[in-house]
Amino acid sequence: MYSAVPAVELNQLSKSFRVRRAATTGLAARARDAFRPRTQTVVAVDRLSFSIAPGERVAFIGPNGAGKSTTLKILAGILRPDAGRVHVLGLVPAQDRRRLAFEIGTVFGQRSQLWYQLPPRDTFELLGRAYEIDRREHRRRIEALVSVFELGPLIDTPVRHLSLGERMRCEIAASLLHSPRMLFLDEPTIGLDVSAKAVIRELLWTESERERVTLLLTSHDTGDMERVCTRAIVIHGGRLLWDGPIDALRRGYLKAKRVTLWSEAEHLDLTLPGVRVLSSRSYRTDLDIALEVTPLGRVVDAALRQSAIRDMAIEDAPLDDVIRAVYADAERRSATS
Amino acid sequence: MTARLITKYAAFSRIAIAQARRERGELYGRVVFFAVILGVFSSLWRAVAEAGMPVAADPRDLVWYLAVTEWILLSAPPIHIEIQEAIRRGDVVYRLGRPVSYVIAEFAAGLGLLAIRAPVLGLTAFLCAFAFTGRIPPVSALAIVAPFGLAAAALMTALYLWIGLLAFWLQDISPIYWVWQKLMFVLGGLMLPLDLYPGFIQRAAVLTPFPVLLAAPASFVLRTGLVPPGVLARSLVIWSCVTALGVSWIFRRATSALTINGG
Repeated sequence: MYSAVPAVELNQLSKSFRVRRAATTGLAARARDAFRPRTQTVVAVDRLSFSIAPGERVAFIGPNGAGKSTTLKILAGILRPDAGRVHVLGLVPAQDRRRLAFEIGTVFGQRSQLWYQLPPRDTFELLGRAYEIDRREHRRRIEALVSVFELGPLIDTPVRHLSLGERMRCEIAASLLHSPRMLFLDEPTIGLDVSAKAVIRELLWTESERERVTLLLTSHDTGDMERVCTRAIVIHGGRLLWDGPIDALRRGYLKAKRVTLWSEAEHLDLTLPGVRVLSSRSYRTDLDIALEVTPLGRVVDAALRQSAIRDMAIEDAPLDDVIRAVYADAERRSATS
Repeated sequence: MTARLITKYAAFSRIAIAQARRERGELYGRVVFFAVILGVFSSLWRAVAEAGMPVAADPRDLVWYLAVTEWILLSAPPIHIEIQEAIRRGDVVYRLGRPVSYVIAEFAAGLGLLAIRAPVLGLTAFLCAFAFTGRIPPVSALAIVAPFGLAAAALMTALYLWIGLLAFWLQDISPIYWVWQKLMFVLGGLMLPLDLYPGFIQRAAVLTPFPVLLAAPASFVLRTGLVPPGVLARSLVIWSCVTALGVSWIFRRATSALTINGG
């Protein structure tokens, strides 16, 4: 049974940073900069409001610099907001950081909490003490996670010998050791190959289902949000742009596919409505296909009529294109209203 | 409550010890460096004495003095570098997100490293100084030097923590450490006892923690100690309190000023 208290509640959250401006040219200007550096204010989060119910799996998406990671760090109590109200599991992160830490887990894809020279088991033991987990319960929990995440041969291997995908499985397991009610994930699949990404997505989904963990996940990979999450929040320039079910986002904006064809013929002529040739090199053609105009099958048929196809790769449209479409739509709607 | 906290932070010391055991090369490097330094300086003091130049103390005493100051200096783990690197890599977000005091956890990890280094380097100091001088100071002197040396190395670790926290603003703390190290070498009396220095340096030194860290504990192997053990114990307590307050204050400011690379 879920609690009535929202897992996350943001109300008009704002955060900005003062950053040093690049040094100017000229000796006098540089000397002046050394003593009185010129700074500028960068708004990372701008009056952002949303709430997440317990048990929800939410994709938090936006281009680089949109304010996703900053928001996540505010929610984890690591950064302090400049303005606005923030509640996570009923606690104020900046004030109750240590109490909140017992209830949340964090995964930062480009960072590591594992001790590099040591096997993950040593870090797991450390975290057991840090999170004050009963020793018997901790052993049981490690066994369960080792089984679910298939860490058997990895848990006693020094981290420096693990592949990125293996390390990431250990990182996520480490974040779940204390059975958090809420998990913040910042680019958990960054840099992973296709199969490692699939494993991580599957694990996140099953663990969230099994343990009823609320997920808030940032990613540049539309596959992450489609396969793990049920809802998406899109931000741009620190402001909320779109908030709704993933299905609606997919129906509304994920209408294009990137397709690469490797053909026996040196060049293919694929002038079809809704098909944009991104590049055409010898034996390789890159296409952008608007699926609601021309289905993928018709494009493949057209290609096969011209040549045998040696290989084909299909990708979702880059997230930046989705964001652009959402952004353009939001602009259009605000103009008409 | 206290036992729970001790268990909690002892885990950070334990994992640092485990890590140090895996990185033995760094410790062996320090042992070799230490032996070379003592060898060079014992030859230097002997040559100075044999040349008939005035040496203010017995050259053998000076070798033992240097063995103790270097033991303290090399035993204190440079945790400021680890803090700086964690901030640069962004791994600090994990460390700040745990239900522990960041500064106590870092200090506990530093003490773990100290627990590995101090015995190994202490043994190196003892064997090398004995080999180069052919004599051992009175056991009563060594019995005082050991606990004061360890306490001084622990205080030095806490001061390195303080320097490390500056990386929250500066990212690169090497210029700060460079100045700190040079001040410690001079005002701490790393090579020579402080009473051989000009008066103005001695007067400046007593206003800093450096003599408490190096010269005072090492001076027990000389025939004339710099300060009595009771006074040194009191000074260590006072500087420890000042350091703890300073670390706590700077950490509060550091977290409110925190910006983390890469979003």
